Amino acid sequence: MNGFSVVFAKEIIDNLRDRRTLISSFSVSILGPIFFVGLMVFVMERALGESDSATEFAVVGAQYAPQLISYLEQQNTNITRVEADDPRDLVMGGAHQLVLVINPDYAERYQRGNINTLMLVHDSSELSSGRRNLAQLRGYISQYGRIIGNLRLWLRGLDPSIATPITTQELDVASPAARALTILASLPYFMVLVVFMGGFYLAIDTTAGEREHGSMEPLLTQPIARSELVMGKVAATSVFGLLSLLVFLISLYIAVPFVPFERVGMALEITMTQLLEILVLSTPLIVFAAALLTVVASFAKSYKEAQTYLTIVVLVPTLPLILAQLMNVETTLRIMVVPSLSQATLMSDIIKGETVAPLHMLTSMATTLVYASVLAWLAVLLYRRERILG
Amino acid sequence: MIEVIELKKSYGEVEAVRGISFGAQDGRITALLGPNGAGKSTTLRILSTVAEPDAGSARVAGVEVTADPMAVRKQIGVLPHNSGLYQRLTGIENIRYFGRLQNIAPAALNQRIDALVEQLDMQEFCKRRTAGFSQGQKIKVALARALIHDPQHVILDEPTNGLDVMATRALRDIIMRLKQAGKCVLFSSHIMQEVDALCDDVVVIGSGEVKFDGTINALREYAGTEDLEEAFVQMAGLGEPL
Repeated sequence: MNGFSVVFAKEIIDNLRDRRTLISSFSVSILGPIFFVGLMVFVMERALGESDSATEFAVVGAQYAPQLISYLEQQNTNITRVEADDPRDLVMGGAHQLVLVINPDYAERYQRGNINTLMLVHDSSELSSGRRNLAQLRGYISQYGRIIGNLRLWLRGLDPSIATPITTQELDVASPAARALTILASLPYFMVLVVFMGGFYLAIDTTAGEREHGSMEPLLTQPIARSELVMGKVAATSVFGLLSLLVFLISLYIAVPFVPFERVGMALEITMTQLLEILVLSTPLIVFAAALLTVVASFAKSYKEAQTYLTIVVLVPTLPLILAQLMNVETTLRIMVVPSLSQATLMSDIIKGETVAPLHMLTSMATTLVYASVLAWLAVLLYRRERILG
Repeated sequence: MIEVIELKKSYGEVEAVRGISFGAQDGRITALLGPNGAGKSTTLRILSTVAEPDAGSARVAGVEVTADPMAVRKQIGVLPHNSGLYQRLTGIENIRYFGRLQNIAPAALNQRIDALVEQLDMQEFCKRRTAGFSQGQKIKVALARALIHDPQHVILDEPTNGLDVMATRALRDIIMRLKQAGKCVLFSSHIMQEVDALCDDVVVIGSGEVKFDGTINALREYAGTEDLEEAFVQMAGLGEPL
């Protein structure tokens, strides 16, 4: 074991002195949670702001329909009275986003019981807030129309319900809390990414980098088993992956209380126990990542080539997680044998505060550890070949 | 003692070594002399246990390199083609790393490092990181690293490459001292004057084959000329029309 610990210690010290390694290992870990919390706060503020805000629009010819206007004013609206020859100019010129046009013959038609057509001038290529105003105003007007229609039926001794055989009712569950949860679901993706990024440069530096600097050959003339040499390197790479995740979790722990969850009626607390669970769950994945990166980097002839290969390698286990998150993958035993996906699914459950089945957790850890061992063994085989010298 | 018998090694289509045989004795300095691409480095790499021969035998202190590479690695000190130091480690740390890999006890290791720092005159720079070292400083550190376990066999691959006059002289002194200590020194070179100044025995290699094996004086006689450079050119087959 002497060789293992000597190589391990050397790689750790050597890489702690490398600014490039440190930046790539820890920048995502530190900035990730800060970015994440910022995004949460932004989305929540927006969601809260929207549901409270009044419907804004301008009215041309308000004097022709005083009752309608007074009804609209009683709703959550903000009405501007304007005069214009062509109401289209108001919208196209950008003075107003939405204009309601009431014709001078409104009262006359109303008296006669004819249909009154009100024009809503808007620009559908405009932003979502304009569209929301339109939908709300449309709703208010048709509501008003229904009230008038119902009154007319009553006056004629008819039950208004005969005119509305079918109605719909909407229940929008996309509360601000739900939106926040969507963002929360991206956390596992970040955590897996951090695990891979932590060991990224170490895996290159200890393999392709060592070869490029010409230190690989003298190293291989030392009386140390290739297995110990490779394990020392993989272990050092793992430690950086672990540190990277640890920094991420600590950063998250500090940043999350800044999110105003209580304002959307949600209680999310990330406890030390949860973080510890995530850390334990991720350990096999950390070793897996280190071994995978080391094997692939060993094939590269130069530092640059290794960088290219590893960038692709990091995408393979992380990108599908975004898809899995959209598809809302269920936590099943079958999923647990897939490295990276199993950890992401379990992390997601842990963050939501759901209890994780020990069988699931054990399966995920055990299978990933098996894959990690196979990869590490492959790395040892690679180092036994003289081709490793390039 | 180093023995090489009918050694062969190809890289793909290229036959780098085509049946080389020679010996290097303890207490003597043996040079592998030959032009670039003659097969010197390949032979030395096989002796250093980092490359495997296709055929033939290479023995260090009677141990076959392919049979027990671990035992051989404890018996040899290797100075590779380029120094191959870790730039973010100091000179001392570079040396200590290999000392630990050789499993030398900490106290003995510190003593040994102090002795080498003095012998190689490295006091001024050995505690700095090697990133900005001159070629001479790098070679010194790499040599100290190769000698940390006091190996009986020292293999040097073109050690004077890129060294200035003073550094070359310092290196020669060190090699002479190794000889006086009874070590078996084997080094490769393509520079005649250097071989003339240092070596007891010369093995001339050309196109992967041994062209001459004997003492410096025998080489002069064999070639029939006092001019060593001329002798070398003839031996290595460089004089033949292309």
